[in-house]
Amino acid sequence: MSGKIDVLIIGAGPAGVAAGIGARREGAENVVVLERDWDLGGILQQCIHPGFGLRTFKEELTGPEYMHRFIKQAHEEGVEFRTNTMVFQIDRDTNTVWTMNKERGIEALNPSSIVLTMGCRERPLGAIRIPGGRPSGIYTAGTAQRFVNMEGYMPGKRAVILGSGDIGLIMARRMIWEGATVEGVYEVMSWPGGLRRNIAQCLDDYGIPFHLRTTVTKIHGQDRLEGVTVAEVDDKMTPIPGTERYVECDTLLLAIGLIPENELSRMAGVDIHPVTGGPVVNDLLQTTNPAIFAAGNVVIVYDLVDNVSDEGLIAGANAAKFALGKIPSTAKRIPVKGGENVRLYSPQFVTGKTDSIIFMRVTHPIEKACKVFATADGEEIYSQRLRYARPGEMNEVKIKADKVQNVNSITIDIQPV
Amino acid sequence: MSEERKFICVSCPLGCGLTVTLDDSGEVTKVEGNTCARGESYARSEVKDPRRVFASTVRVKGGKLPVCPVRSKTPAPKGKLFDITRAVAALEVEAPIKIGQVLIHNVCGTDADIVASRDLEAV
Repeated sequence: MSGKIDVLIIGAGPAGVAAGIGARREGAENVVVLERDWDLGGILQQCIHPGFGLRTFKEELTGPEYMHRFIKQAHEEGVEFRTNTMVFQIDRDTNTVWTMNKERGIEALNPSSIVLTMGCRERPLGAIRIPGGRPSGIYTAGTAQRFVNMEGYMPGKRAVILGSGDIGLIMARRMIWEGATVEGVYEVMSWPGGLRRNIAQCLDDYGIPFHLRTTVTKIHGQDRLEGVTVAEVDDKMTPIPGTERYVECDTLLLAIGLIPENELSRMAGVDIHPVTGGPVVNDLLQTTNPAIFAAGNVVIVYDLVDNVSDEGLIAGANAAKFALGKIPSTAKRIPVKGGENVRLYSPQFVTGKTDSIIFMRVTHPIEKACKVFATADGEEIYSQRLRYARPGEMNEVKIKADKVQNVNSITIDIQPV
Repeated sequence: MSEERKFICVSCPLGCGLTVTLDDSGEVTKVEGNTCARGESYARSEVKDPRRVFASTVRVKGGKLPVCPVRSKTPAPKGKLFDITRAVAALEVEAPIKIGQVLIHNVCGTDADIVASRDLEAV
């Protein structure tokens, strides 16, 4: 490739690959996706179970199969990929992206626009305080998934899983299929973190006990994990004395949440939302730096990869428009506010230039008929009935551009009906 | 005497709670709680012939990775899953491997094939 890069995309997971496709389809000439791994596809390459892409492809694919289709499309669209290439710096004044690669050395790239698609990371053990030793045998569920599915190692023979995020549930079944035993899944909240179908097909199918309002209160073992103490918790999530139990295990997997990975975004100087942990974006998926766009789990952690790919396509297309001078800098910023039962949502602003979807999660579950809705200056502009609303399952608010042309602010919420 | 069974549909991320009513002879007389046709057919299959897609890895000789992900191309009988885990664990495949390549035909006497779920180059 020669000449200036129009759209530079950081990370070749589902968001980045889709962003590349979106940018090329919108007419950007030089579209480059940087990837630090030798391979494309990001974390989906280790998600070898089926369950991906039902909405996009009308069939359930494994992670590698899903990415195979998108990567093929990206190649056909003329997206350039640079693997084994690490971004170690973004200069906030010039939007210069510094990269490192064994063959190319250190390079400073000055693209017309940037799309941040670095994904997310798992909350580690250090994020929660558990007394006791720090023996080997404690992993995040995703690390264990990589060991088993890509490197061919089993992390242990007898596992306890703390947290009920989807990766933890999937790994419970994976460990069972590989001949290990799983003593139980312990979730501190009163509701599961992951999808109900994963509780059914990963735990119930194999008789793995699932304990809500229960957590690990102590780690036992010197060199290797020997067991954990678990205890029930009260409404304030404090362990209840007298409920402690010792559970023997050699492996503790943590599925306690995902955090958008924004080290580079911070360097680039874009505003980070305190609740989502991702860049503040508008409906064009444009950050507070107009040349920088963001999509996927780097913005807000999604349930479904289909949503991540969709957002990648949108961010890539808008980054291309920006590079081609088709996005005016005078766009409106109509703030979106979350109502009483909204824990987090994205985007936080709309321009009214496009129809858009605001993705949100509720704070507390509503286990009866309810509605997800949006009001603009007090007037309802969207409403959809739901059978329930749960923190573990994202909801969507669809905003029509023509409904927000002359409004000052939008509020979204979910309430019982 | 009719019998009622309740379980979660695993056909899509919605996870509808299904209630299936069976008559004396074990025939499905009613499916409730589903929101689509996939749920209805899942419910019927789940009470008569429960099946799951199996996904694991096989060991690889001379590949860019030491293991390659595989899946059953179609759902396999649930009761055979542990037999299938052993058959797949015993397999070693030489790289390169192409996505969709059949590695075991009709695994463990089921009608399901085990296929590779990614391309894997040789080193």
